[in-house]
Amino acid sequence: MSPASSRTPFATFRDQYAELMRSAFLVDLQYRASIAIWLIWGVTEPIISLGIWWSIAAGGAVDGYTREDFARYFFGVALVNQATLSWDAWNIDRWIREGEMNHRLTRPIAPIHEAIADNVAYKTPTATIILTMWIIASLFWPAVRIPFEPGRWSLAIIAIVLAAAIRFLNGYATGLLAFWTTRATALVELQFGLSLFLSGRIAPLSLLPPRVAHVAEYLWFPYVLSFPVEILTGAVTTSEQYLRGFAGQAIWLAIWLALYLVVWTRGRRHYGAVGG
Amino acid sequence: MTRFTRAMIVLRAFWQLNWLEELQYRGNFVASLLGTIFWLVMAMLTVSLFFRHTPQLGGWGYWDVVVLLGIFNALAGVVETVLRPGIGHLPTDVRSGALDLVLVRPVDAQFYVSFRRLDVWRLADVMLGLAVSGYAFVQTGRAISAWELLAFAVTFAVAIAVVYAIWVTLMSLAFWFVAVENMAALFDAVFEAARYPVSAYPGALRFLFVYLIPIAWTTTIPASALTGRLNPALATWAAAVGVAALGASRVLWRVALKRYTSAGG
Repeated sequence: MSPASSRTPFATFRDQYAELMRSAFLVDLQYRASIAIWLIWGVTEPIISLGIWWSIAAGGAVDGYTREDFARYFFGVALVNQATLSWDAWNIDRWIREGEMNHRLTRPIAPIHEAIADNVAYKTPTATIILTMWIIASLFWPAVRIPFEPGRWSLAIIAIVLAAAIRFLNGYATGLLAFWTTRATALVELQFGLSLFLSGRIAPLSLLPPRVAHVAEYLWFPYVLSFPVEILTGAVTTSEQYLRGFAGQAIWLAIWLALYLVVWTRGRRHYGAVGG
Repeated sequence: MTRFTRAMIVLRAFWQLNWLEELQYRGNFVASLLGTIFWLVMAMLTVSLFFRHTPQLGGWGYWDVVVLLGIFNALAGVVETVLRPGIGHLPTDVRSGALDLVLVRPVDAQFYVSFRRLDVWRLADVMLGLAVSGYAFVQTGRAISAWELLAFAVTFAVAIAVVYAIWVTLMSLAFWFVAVENMAALFDAVFEAARYPVSAYPGALRFLFVYLIPIAWTTTIPASALTGRLNPALATWAAAVGVAALGASRVLWRVALKRYTSAGG
């Protein structure tokens, strides 16, 4: 008997994951200059939005948001966005278009695990960089300081992890539509455009027209950005708000997980039919 | 035959070839047009959202900002039509050594690299942007004088020159940092700031956009010409900035090219 067969499936899986993560991290290390550019790319949008709202709020609070509130909000957006953003659809598109999916299908582990490892290896250090910059900024700029509340911060971390999972599955499942269409990435871009408003990237949800904010509540968008950010900034306070937020996250996580499983199972079959 | 006419003949041949190639992908035209319209609508909704909470942005009214937004879109169209497919490809050429094949040709290398491709479908972005500006201009209810129209034409040309110079600068960095493949993302990030008049930003950002990364000259100045904010002194300055940007990009290109030792060198 080979030594591998005496190991539990879990131990094998864990080792595979560790290896995927290690190689993803080493690849990232090779491209650190490119990653620095993506980081700048990621933070400019919140900085621009903050700049505009900062000027608008010059004459006083905007619907209860002071300049300092905007500063904290958009620092939160920069951090949570970095920790949750999803680019996997573009990878999948390339895998399928250029045949790189083929060797991935022959591996004993589904390609989604490679993508998850990639995401963890990339987001942990880059989000840490943004967090560090936030901490440094708060030394000089009192406006971006948030109160020290370990309980709240722990809940924020949980919310960020859940948000990252939803956004990942959302992007991955949409990207898998590339099995059928060459325009799957356009669908991701469409969602990205809508998330400008519905996730609270351009403004806190409470500043949107009430009807738009109401529509957003029925979608996953607020739970992948706005909710974790507002835990951080202190806008989420009552236990009812927490409950609604986490319940929303749980529901959308389940929905996107189910959608991923459906698209993956069917897509793989469809793909086999094309090549076969 | 002068160098200029020869360059023009080469350019015509390139673009003709491109045109024939692109005609095969007419589906892309519809897709890119829909994409542009979608992002334009998103941009206008963003401006509307700001104006729900303020009557002006840095002294600009709603329709003034939309005039600017149209210009932003037109410039983004120029980037997508010519710059990204042309000089945007330079880092890859440097890395792979394909630039060798450019350098041996009897045309100016910077000219060739910059204008070798024309993604004709994206010209629709330029048209659409200018149309939005035109519509917003009518909404402002202003009359335009011949001088203002001329000032707009000049400052818009300056804007293209500045954007081109920024691309040449960023892409030339590929000669030093061969491994950096996403320089274009740096442009995309910073150019986003040109969506709004530069006066709408707090002091520190304004300084950055006017002097350090001169994107203020790309949208705010041409939009100023259309909204009656441009005085002759500023227009002269803008023209000087445009000429200086082109000159600087030429010098940088020459310096950068000296570092090129082909792939593996």
